[in-house]
Amino acid sequence: MLDIKNIYKNFGDNHVLKGVSTTVEKGEVLTIIGVSGSGKSTLLRCMNLLEEPTFGEVWMEGKLMTPVDPYLHFDVIRASNTYKSLVAEGMGDEEAIEKIKAEDLLKEKHHGRAEGAEYAALMKKIYDENHIDINLGRQKMGMVFQNFNLFNNKTVKENITLAPVKIGKQRLKDAKKRGETVTKTAADIEAEADKKAMALLERIGLQEKANVYPSTLSGGQRQRVAIIRALAMEPDVMLFDEPTSALDPEMVGEVLDLIKDLVKSGMTSVIVTHEMGFAKEVSDRVIFMHDGVIAEEGTPDEVFNHPQNPRCKDFLSKVLY
Amino acid sequence: MVFLSNIVMIMTRYWQLFLIKGIGYTLLLSVIAVAGGAFFGSLMALGKRSKIKILKWIITAIVEVVRGTPMLLQLYFGVFVFPKIIPPLNALPYIYSVSIVLIINSSAYVSEIIRSGIEAVDPGQMEAARSLGLTQRTAMLSIILPQAVKNILPALGNEFITVIKETSLASTFFVGELMTQEIVVRGTTYLALECLTITGVLYFVLTFVLSKGLKRWERSMKAHA
Repeated sequence: MLDIKNIYKNFGDNHVLKGVSTTVEKGEVLTIIGVSGSGKSTLLRCMNLLEEPTFGEVWMEGKLMTPVDPYLHFDVIRASNTYKSLVAEGMGDEEAIEKIKAEDLLKEKHHGRAEGAEYAALMKKIYDENHIDINLGRQKMGMVFQNFNLFNNKTVKENITLAPVKIGKQRLKDAKKRGETVTKTAADIEAEADKKAMALLERIGLQEKANVYPSTLSGGQRQRVAIIRALAMEPDVMLFDEPTSALDPEMVGEVLDLIKDLVKSGMTSVIVTHEMGFAKEVSDRVIFMHDGVIAEEGTPDEVFNHPQNPRCKDFLSKVLY
Repeated sequence: MVFLSNIVMIMTRYWQLFLIKGIGYTLLLSVIAVAGGAFFGSLMALGKRSKIKILKWIITAIVEVVRGTPMLLQLYFGVFVFPKIIPPLNALPYIYSVSIVLIINSSAYVSEIIRSGIEAVDPGQMEAARSLGLTQRTAMLSIILPQAVKNILPALGNEFITVIKETSLASTFFVGELMTQEIVVRGTTYLALECLTITGVLYFVLTFVLSKGLKRWERSMKAHA
């Protein structure tokens, strides 16, 4: 469902991710653990392109989210004449890709028409067949942040309805433009979003807070609202970026309970967390990140009880759960 | 005692020059400068966020030059240069050229106010909006700008107060604002200290009332969120 291939992320000279690939299946709960600075949050943020990968591809439900930039895709680089000639000269695969990327060798202006029409056609074909608008892709991915990031200038209910209403109205407008017959009106969309927001608020027991501003809520309440705000878009996968790290200890429970509820209902989730007990309980699969790569991967039992990687052993011996 | 009675004498004789003409022109110039500055400053702030490098470079250059040179010099420059570029200005009083300079000056400062106001909004707000699938434009209009306005408006009020004081430099060209009237009355009465005191009090009252009003307005705005 969510496929990430060969993700590299550099912040200047700081190489945070060094080639991460994994696939999240429908209904799967994947947790990512690791020390601070191991790249786990960056990996999560690359999944919905809040961080643009320096290299690599993100596929959501068979559609390519990352731009079709030849330098992002190994296959495209490998299809180029430049790559072929470099390899023919005796250069290794990785070395040739590095060189092409570093020296910007695929640009026509640098190489005359070296890559030719065939290559341009290949690029266009990949784009047409696979590309999805980044906003459309993100609508299928809910994201929960460490710092909640509720909209400060909107009430709790407006926080939840904003995206469904704006996007619903945009779709309506687009459908009209295409000349399709639409049965819904803008008012219907608003009423629907409103009803759904109230139902979601009821689910977390905060319906009486619908019309207050987020600044009056406690941390735990804010995070729960942030979670249902993401749910209001009916995403296919939820991404949690250390959802309890900024909370006071007594509020961690209520947020974890809501997430547990959610994953039990079959929501595909990727969770970056420091709550090892929680990770052990809810995960189908656990990834241990170290130094920008996946150092250990397996079921919770495998990773927590029989870790193979020495770094992972070391990490788990230092954390309590 | 003579000082006070002189002040009373000057005010009874010349109050119209100070209170109506002087304050009138001062406020007119300030409003023109800030309104024009708000309009062009917004465009400049927008331009600075664009991806066109040359546009960004030009705007940065304008802002730096305006901030790095004295207002008086800019006024001299404008008064002598603008009529050469825009010939119709030759036939018009200096106040037109002065207004243009004030607008350019104010635009530069306002564009910085707007830029920093937008940048002061927590980047997490934009991330959250984008993560829900909203476009950059929608996120900007419904989430970022409403919050930025709360940072921008108070600073814009301060800019207005600064401009009121800076228009006094325009008296160099006798455009009729408060300081010009002071020069006129001083020239007829030869009572320098008295005239300066009156003008100083008027400037102070103008800016003090304005800043108190702005504070109150700011508080009421904060109460609404």
